[in-house]
Amino acid sequence: MSEARAGTPVVEARGLVKSYRVGASTLTVLQGVSLTLQPGETAALMGASGSGKSTLLHLLGLMDKPDAGEILLAGEPVQGFGPRRAAKMRAGRLGFVFQQFQLLHEISALENVLLPRRIANGAAWWSRRAEERRAARAAMAAVGLAERERHRPPQLSGGEQQRVAIARALVGTPQLLLADEPTGNLDRRTGAEVLALMLRLARERGTALLLATHDPEVAAACDRTLHLREGRVVGA
Amino acid sequence: MSLLHLGWEWLRRRLILASAAGGIALGVGVLFTVLAVFQGFVAELESSIKKVSGDVTLEILRGTRTGQQEFARALAGMPEVASWDARLNWFGLVGRRGSRAVDDPRATDQSGLLLVGVEGEEARDLPARAPSAPTETPAPLLMSQALAAEFGLAIGDVVEVTTFRTAERRTVLARKSFALAGYAQSGRFDLDLDRAIAHRADVAALAGTAPDFSEIAVHALPSVEAEALAAQIERALLAAGIPEMDLPLLKTWRDQGGQLLRAAEDQKGMLGTVFFMIVLVAVYQLVATLLLTVAEKRREIGVLGALGAGPGRVVGFFTGLALLIATIGCAAGLLLGAALVANLHAVERFLGGGEAIFLPEIYKFEDIPVRVEWGSTLLLVGATLACALVFSLLPAWRAARVPIVRALQQR
Repeated sequence: MSEARAGTPVVEARGLVKSYRVGASTLTVLQGVSLTLQPGETAALMGASGSGKSTLLHLLGLMDKPDAGEILLAGEPVQGFGPRRAAKMRAGRLGFVFQQFQLLHEISALENVLLPRRIANGAAWWSRRAEERRAARAAMAAVGLAERERHRPPQLSGGEQQRVAIARALVGTPQLLLADEPTGNLDRRTGAEVLALMLRLARERGTALLLATHDPEVAAACDRTLHLREGRVVGA
Repeated sequence: MSLLHLGWEWLRRRLILASAAGGIALGVGVLFTVLAVFQGFVAELESSIKKVSGDVTLEILRGTRTGQQEFARALAGMPEVASWDARLNWFGLVGRRGSRAVDDPRATDQSGLLLVGVEGEEARDLPARAPSAPTETPAPLLMSQALAAEFGLAIGDVVEVTTFRTAERRTVLARKSFALAGYAQSGRFDLDLDRAIAHRADVAALAGTAPDFSEIAVHALPSVEAEALAAQIERALLAAGIPEMDLPLLKTWRDQGGQLLRAAEDQKGMLGTVFFMIVLVAVYQLVATLLLTVAEKRREIGVLGALGAGPGRVVGFFTGLALLIATIGCAAGLLLGAALVANLHAVERFLGGGEAIFLPEIYKFEDIPVRVEWGSTLLLVGATLACALVFSLLPAWRAARVPIVRALQQR
């Protein structure tokens, strides 16, 4: 995994524009968004529903392409990346936590945590599997689920599933963790626990965190808060 | 390959994927059985041709001045030759029992009969003639039950065989009495309908021909190819000083099998092709199942993409899943085929409603002949896997085109 160069932002977005076609009309969700995130920094992205928080995370996570603007990950411009290079970047440098957890139900919690490592290693998986399995077990232990590694997601509570998702996102020690409403599907107490866990682990690993939320209490736990209004970031 | 465990879990938990493997198993199992039976038929046919003709037959030219001893000397020096038999084949005419013109060659109700004169080990089933027996004593004769029934003969019956032979540049009528001493089957139903076995000396006495042998059937050691042996025999005959004009016509068992052997091989190929359609239908079902899986598993495909699986990895995952299903189907199919082949008699009775389908009086075997060839088995498995791989490219390509963001929004 490549490390972010000293002094180089983990992610830098400049003038991102993204529109969707809705029937005959065009809806512009992002109208020139710019932001910068330094290594180890945690930031909350706040905005009303439909303000474009998820869209921005998808663009920064290279799961979608902006209509205009520029994204630099660890100083490297990525807008010209094809699907293959974008996928490699996601596997090597980015981690994701989703509101809906997005775990695969057919495999165990431990196998879900191992999944990004299997993908990142490709053909080299067989030679590294013991080492990767140890790392995945450590990640499961870090989120307090060492005893539940053999359970499949439907056998876990919502909070436990989200903790598995956090372990999965952080197992490869990414430079940037993108979390889309990670506590949105959890009760207040469980949500607070999951948030505290995610922030602690991100800070321990020096991973930058961009967290989309509309909960001010969640945002207050981060180093700074970015507001998305009328397609632009305020307070970046 | 690193995602194969996920494919395995999908296969374990989704009945529709397991049923696709079951379809392939059924097709492979049936084709394996059909091929084993037809290869058994062909092997039986080859064996019966070799039994009658040897691996290589030397057809001796009429009027040749080279004697049997010279040929024997040439063959004796060849390490590839296991044994050989000299025979005299001669055509005669024989009338049905009770025919008014049983010994009149001008009569229209006579049938042609190939008399095969044998000696030594080949004549072991023929009763030996006492040296002091008068020449008019009927000579012993063996023929198939079907031919004996055709002529209305029972064991012990005497039959007159008439023929024409050349004597002092004139064609003269010759006849000899033979007594049916028993039944003999060569294993080739077609040959057994017009040939009878007798001592070579008796056939030679009737034919009055020189030399008193018309062919030499050469049996090779097991690992020797007939075509190579034929070439070696030709060289050995020339080296032994046999004049080129006396060189016999050399025919391998494949030449002797002729159209019958080619027809059997062609039928094997055609049946293999037709039954492979069952496998193709099963593979088509696998493709339909994979397309359905791609539609149902869009969220999971999106998750794989979000975690860093590019289009190539997604294609690899789905083609790998197809190969996994096809491999399991092939393995189960081979086990099914082996079980069917091992219990073919029971299967035949089951399919025939308790009766035999392959009647011994028609097909001339008590047990259905079976032969499993590794080459055709490997070809069957390879073709099935190749079809599964090629056909799975469509669902794999569709999966690779699933947009990640929209897939993740799917509940």
